[in-house]
Amino acid sequence: MIEIQHLSKRYGSKLAVDDVSFTVQPGIVTGFLGPNGAGKSTTMRMIMGLDRPNAGTATINGAAYTSLRDPLRQVGALLEAKAVHTGRSAFNHLLALAATHGIPASRVDEVIHMTGLESVAKKRVGGFSLGMGQRLGIAVALLGDPQTLILDEPVNGLDPEGVLWVRQLCRYLASQGRTVFLSSHLMSEMAQTADHVVVLGRGRVLADAPIDQILSGAGGRSVTVRTPSPDQLVAALSAPDVTVRQAADGSLSVSGVSAEQVGEAAARAGVVLHELTPITASLEQAYLELTQDDVEYKSEVSQ
Amino acid sequence: MTATAAQMPQRPDLAGARVTFPRLVRAEWIKLRSIRSTVWCYLVLFVLSILMSVLPALVVNRSGTAVTGVDADSTVATINTISIHLTALVVAVLGVLIVSGEYGTGQIRSTFIADPRRLGATFAKALVLATTTFVISAASVWIGAFASAPILSSRHIDVNLGHSAVFLPILGGSVYVTLVALLAFGIGTLVRATAGGIAITLGLLLVVPGILSAIGVLTHTQWLLDVNQFLPSQAGAQLFAFSGDAHGVVVHAGGGAAAGGPADLTSPNIQLDGWQGFWVLLGEVVAVGIVAFTLTKRRDA
Repeated sequence: MIEIQHLSKRYGSKLAVDDVSFTVQPGIVTGFLGPNGAGKSTTMRMIMGLDRPNAGTATINGAAYTSLRDPLRQVGALLEAKAVHTGRSAFNHLLALAATHGIPASRVDEVIHMTGLESVAKKRVGGFSLGMGQRLGIAVALLGDPQTLILDEPVNGLDPEGVLWVRQLCRYLASQGRTVFLSSHLMSEMAQTADHVVVLGRGRVLADAPIDQILSGAGGRSVTVRTPSPDQLVAALSAPDVTVRQAADGSLSVSGVSAEQVGEAAARAGVVLHELTPITASLEQAYLELTQDDVEYKSEVSQ
Repeated sequence: MTATAAQMPQRPDLAGARVTFPRLVRAEWIKLRSIRSTVWCYLVLFVLSILMSVLPALVVNRSGTAVTGVDADSTVATINTISIHLTALVVAVLGVLIVSGEYGTGQIRSTFIADPRRLGATFAKALVLATTTFVISAASVWIGAFASAPILSSRHIDVNLGHSAVFLPILGGSVYVTLVALLAFGIGTLVRATAGGIAITLGLLLVVPGILSAIGVLTHTQWLLDVNQFLPSQAGAQLFAFSGDAHGVVVHAGGGAAAGGPADLTSPNIQLDGWQGFWVLLGEVVAVGIVAFTLTKRRDA
């Protein structure tokens, strides 16, 4: 379990993390979602004792990371791909880290095998692709067979097969009762991997809830309808809590009622329907809604 | 979480896994020998140190007259410490690189994640650097000394490696080189950048003494010349200077007579001997080290 309490970090005049509190539970995958510059990596670095918070605490199973005697056994972290000397081979990098804890070399071979690095393990890391660097980072995280895993953007740079592998690995590790905390700015990735999501924007927690709740909470559900007689349908649906918007392509977006209710209303009014599609807000929409005021770098072309 | 939940595996092979200082030393040794450029630097240093003892021996004493006593000891000590000037520069660069390379590549975060208290890993790194540097320097210098001894003998120079006036400077050279490596390591830890660290270290060793001395002489400022004697390279030079006779030291310090008489304002009043030089340089290394270690503990990585 990771507990973050009133954590703040200031870089110069910029408040990168602003009074952040949340808990990461064992046995599930917790996603850490937010736009670039939201403070996700900074928060993770503070958990790992690399950056000192200006205020607040971060503990892992009740202890500060810097107080751990066997940190690699407790926590495995992928903080950034290639936190590795470029002149050293992947094998030697793992071997040196294992040596700090007296972890046997056989475990090094094991994680190299698990992450599919056999063919490049003796090569220097400087020549690694981003994906290979990520695999090495994950091998480092797994080295001490830790109870808690903290993975910053683990799927970054991975090919589709690698993405699937990380997703399955995270789910498997959580199913063993471990605490799995991974960050991403890819909403779709979270929707498929995480059970619980903490959304961060401009250093503040915008949402901290099970993924289902995040999805259903975002603008509720809506129904897309196509009909040759939209005016009649709008009249038939008219009710205080129902809103109907017409899209550019002529379809109607109805919210406040279910698809069944729209169909029944259309039948009663004798309106012909060409399409009737219930729409569940995607995590992507939910995320954009949550963070639209909190993105650091906004592009002008959006929507 | 669910009925299908697997259990975390028991790992008897990881049972005793925790950080200890000897393990950190082992890890730093693996790291040192697994960077190709470091290994090459040490190899080159090893070969050059031997060559720089043997090659001068081949051309010394062209007149062929017998050289004995203090003159012979002075010659032997000098020939076997020529390489120290070069070695010191190589390890100055190595000492910076060994730590700035970690900051530059991001490796330092892996290092500190494995040892979040940081000081153990930093001490271990310094220890491995110092030990490796001393062993390689001493081995190459002594191989050079024993290789050049028969050559010098054949050129009518009386070689007595057992004379303290001879073996102390030869040994002191390796001590100096080791302390320079540690000083560079401290500076690299402070600056955390390769270019800046190397510039500061080499500047301190090579440039600052010349500037201080030039200004001191030009402006007749005696205290500048005296302060100069306490700079790492000047104090450290006493560690491998031949001190069998007073003139040898003074000449090395770059000026006329120093002992007694009125100061002539072109040479320092203060003249450190070998042991004083050692303590001064050691003190400087410790001082830089304390600042570096304190900041390492406190700074964001």
